[in-house]
Amino acid sequence: MLDFPSSYTPIKSMRDQGELLLLKLFNEVMEPGILGFFHQMRLLPLSVALALCLSACSRMEAQDANDDENHAGYVPVLSGGAGYVHNVNGGVTSLEPQINPVLLVPFGSHVLLESRAEFIGFYQREHQTSGPFTGKVFKNVDYAQVDWLANTHVMVSAGKYLLPFGLYNERLAPVWIRNLLDQPTDSNIGVGTSGAGDGLMLRGVAVEKPSYTLQYSAYFSARSNINQLQAARTAGYDASIFLTHPRLEIGTSYQRFLQDHQTNSVAAYVSWQPPAVPLDLKAEYDYTYSGNGYWLETAYNFEKLPIPSFLQRLQAVGRMQQFFPLNGGGNGLPGVNTQRFDFGLNYYFRDNLRFMSSYGRTFSSQRDANVWNLGLTYRFVLPLWPERKK
Amino acid sequence: MNRYLVFLSLLILLLIGGMGAGALQQDRSEAVSNNKSASSSNSPAKPVTGEEVFQANCGRCHRPPMTISQRTTGTIVMHMRVRARLSRQDEQLLLKYMAP
Repeated sequence: MLDFPSSYTPIKSMRDQGELLLLKLFNEVMEPGILGFFHQMRLLPLSVALALCLSACSRMEAQDANDDENHAGYVPVLSGGAGYVHNVNGGVTSLEPQINPVLLVPFGSHVLLESRAEFIGFYQREHQTSGPFTGKVFKNVDYAQVDWLANTHVMVSAGKYLLPFGLYNERLAPVWIRNLLDQPTDSNIGVGTSGAGDGLMLRGVAVEKPSYTLQYSAYFSARSNINQLQAARTAGYDASIFLTHPRLEIGTSYQRFLQDHQTNSVAAYVSWQPPAVPLDLKAEYDYTYSGNGYWLETAYNFEKLPIPSFLQRLQAVGRMQQFFPLNGGGNGLPGVNTQRFDFGLNYYFRDNLRFMSSYGRTFSSQRDANVWNLGLTYRFVLPLWPERKK
Repeated sequence: MNRYLVFLSLLILLLIGGMGAGALQQDRSEAVSNNKSASSSNSPAKPVTGEEVFQANCGRCHRPPMTISQRTTGTIVMHMRVRARLSRQDEQLLLKYMAP
């Protein structure tokens, strides 16, 4: 008999032998430490069991008639990213292993249940520069939402969702996506109290033309202090226009913080991937009550250079940023003028496995410091259900 | 501050260098695919293949995932349709590209 963690028992009773083998494979592939993370989070097995049960019972038609032109499967998926970061900031070393599993359970091709959890370990030496490493694992549910993909113009998300503000919180935050391991200083602007909102969000394509696309997100979040559902009372939107031919996206975000001191946060951003060049240019300006700042990041992939193929997997990254506090700063933002640059060199072993390295220097009136990062990131996709036979 | 300006210069150099290298690459590829240019120059700007949809939308944030199996593609594309705010048409093109 297969040896399953007790928390998976409800799932086991619903599955046939083939499905059990899938789960066994999943268990063998995952590192014991990672499974330990899962044990620490009681909500996850319950959520998985409930979602899979609903998925099995509904047996909704997974594909529309026009989907017959492809062979895409609609099975529940456990995806996400994992990473290990070795950070040295001003001589203080931190070790930060992390895993961010994303559970995706489709109900047909128009309804999707999705949730992402976060397990981040943070370990430092006992006396910062000497002594044994000590620390703990922080656990969090980043989002847990149900999406209804009604049509091109309207998609409805309900539950706990990531706040769409600027480029980072919703899009570039996963460790396997970002080009540099450290997030920009002003990425804390516009993410409320937890980076997520509880409520309803509408999003989609407002206008779609051959030469441009206008995309939008609009949301309202209620205040919540419930464990793992912490959110602030906020409302806001994000809108961007994507120019198809130059692959240039220009967007803006707005958020009204509707509790305590009611404040506004705004962002303006640009993302450009010129078709002829393997270059990724991103820039963002953020403003809020606590301060304002900007960052400019460029990444160049060596894939088109006339060099040996193993060197074409390299990626060079540069980023500069400045932050200027207002009203004393705070809320995760510096209290003094801060400038920082980073230069990174990444190497893609595979499309989902990457070595990252970077050097940066922070300049502020409090202190100047060197920041070194070394890391490994991995993206995984594991089916949780056998494919439906046609 | 001087170091900061030096880095800014390096950043701009990286940008310009990348653009230059890309332009050279484009010249080469245009010379090779000269026969195709007539038809492509008349094509609309809107992506018409799944690969173009991927490069134009998904490529804004991450590299192409070459290791996703067909059985999970539908679910992953649904997820990305929500995250990237894709149209229904783009979703269908992506499915055909990733799970032909």
